[in-house]
Amino acid sequence: MYRKQVRRRRAVLLLLVAASLTLLSLYYRESSGGPVHGVQDVVSTVFSPIESGADRALKPVRDLVNWFGETFDARGDKAKLEDQVATLRDQLARSQTQQQEAKELAGLNEITSGGIVPDGTDPVTARVIGRSPTVWYSTVTIDRGSGDGVRIDDPVVAAQGLAGKVTQTTPNSAQVTLITDADSAVTARVTPSGATGVVQPNVGNPNDLQLDFLERGSDIAEGQMVVTAGFSTGDLGSIFPPGIPIGKITRATVEEQQAYQRVHLEPFADLRDMDFVKVLTTHTGGRKR
Amino acid sequence: MILTPGTLARLAALGAAVAIAQVVCFSKMDVFGTSPDIALLVVMSVGILGGSLTGAVTGFSIGLLLDCLLLETMGAFALTLLTIGYVAGRYRETVGRPPRPAVVLLGGSLTLLGALVIAAIQVGTGIDANVSFLVVRDALVKSLIGALLAIPVLWTVRLVVRSALVDERRGARRTSAPRPVESG
Repeated sequence: MYRKQVRRRRAVLLLLVAASLTLLSLYYRESSGGPVHGVQDVVSTVFSPIESGADRALKPVRDLVNWFGETFDARGDKAKLEDQVATLRDQLARSQTQQQEAKELAGLNEITSGGIVPDGTDPVTARVIGRSPTVWYSTVTIDRGSGDGVRIDDPVVAAQGLAGKVTQTTPNSAQVTLITDADSAVTARVTPSGATGVVQPNVGNPNDLQLDFLERGSDIAEGQMVVTAGFSTGDLGSIFPPGIPIGKITRATVEEQQAYQRVHLEPFADLRDMDFVKVLTTHTGGRKR
Repeated sequence: MILTPGTLARLAALGAAVAIAQVVCFSKMDVFGTSPDIALLVVMSVGILGGSLTGAVTGFSIGLLLDCLLLETMGAFALTLLTIGYVAGRYRETVGRPPRPAVVLLGGSLTLLGALVIAAIQVGTGIDANVSFLVVRDALVKSLIGALLAIPVLWTVRLVVRSALVDERRGARRTSAPRPVESG
């Protein structure tokens, strides 16, 4: 009897492990229109209205927990603490939450109406409804999908700057891979020096990005701004329009610039705490909400 | 754990609710620079209460739903949570019902194991970017939070599946008052 149980347990375990590995393998081998992606799309489409509702309903709980966490973090810095306590108190009040959301939306409008959005681009505002629980996948889920005109590779901006790009879509939702994700790389330009490079993440540290592959002898100093380069060479071009703010240089040592052609920057957008983003869609035909 | 259709329905509802709450709420919380992994602790609790088979199947199911909700690599969270459910269940089957300190230790160590499995999958499938040392800090802080929340989560899961637990039934039988003897 006991042996039978052990055999059954091992068989089920082997079956589940084999199923997981098969899924992993199929997912990487098939195109985005394959059957495994299809199943994922269906499940995500079914659950996205529930996620959207739960996101709104659970926001006060999140805010309360975040209030405790951020208050603790702020202990070492008195001035910062005072500002944060004031801000977080406001966040506890529901009306102030709405005001903050409006402010974020205004920031989004400001960034997309500031002349950086190219002609023919149609920004779609989306709410962030889901986030990956691990630092290895720096992605968020938004409540707008292919039905709203969102397509894969569309750039995504937050209130303060570039957030990432769309990497998967379903009719009602989409996955945004943030610029802090291990797979992210954005061509960028330092202003005013004009030096160009590629912004890459430092996995696990959302406040530190690296601008790699800089030309030797570039005159880069701390505090300078980094924006998207938006290069275009024949048919080949960056998916990001030029001039979207990414961050500011926080560390630019001569040694690191000469040895590794690299400087460090901090992203403008608070990628761990965004409620709204704008997807810069370039396609028309989706329903508008 | 006695798996009746009612218990399975409860486990399914618990799994769906936890997966949605993890994605829309817990992952967005910022606690000491990271976020609590409640889905993992729920799988661990089911493993402790129901054994390795129930734990592994629950972990696989919740993980697969997480993969779908996040539009992430299918199978990554399924494999991670399946491992957690199985290991927690095997602990119960080999060592016995864990006392409170052991639950705390299990919460911390299995959260760390989950972080290691996810890291191994990510590294195994290829990574081009630099990896910060803060990944280690994130895993350690997450484990600490997992240790702190292990007992409350276990209590909550026990409440949900209480009617199916053999230990609870024995306890209830032992503590139930004797019936009055009818006379006449």
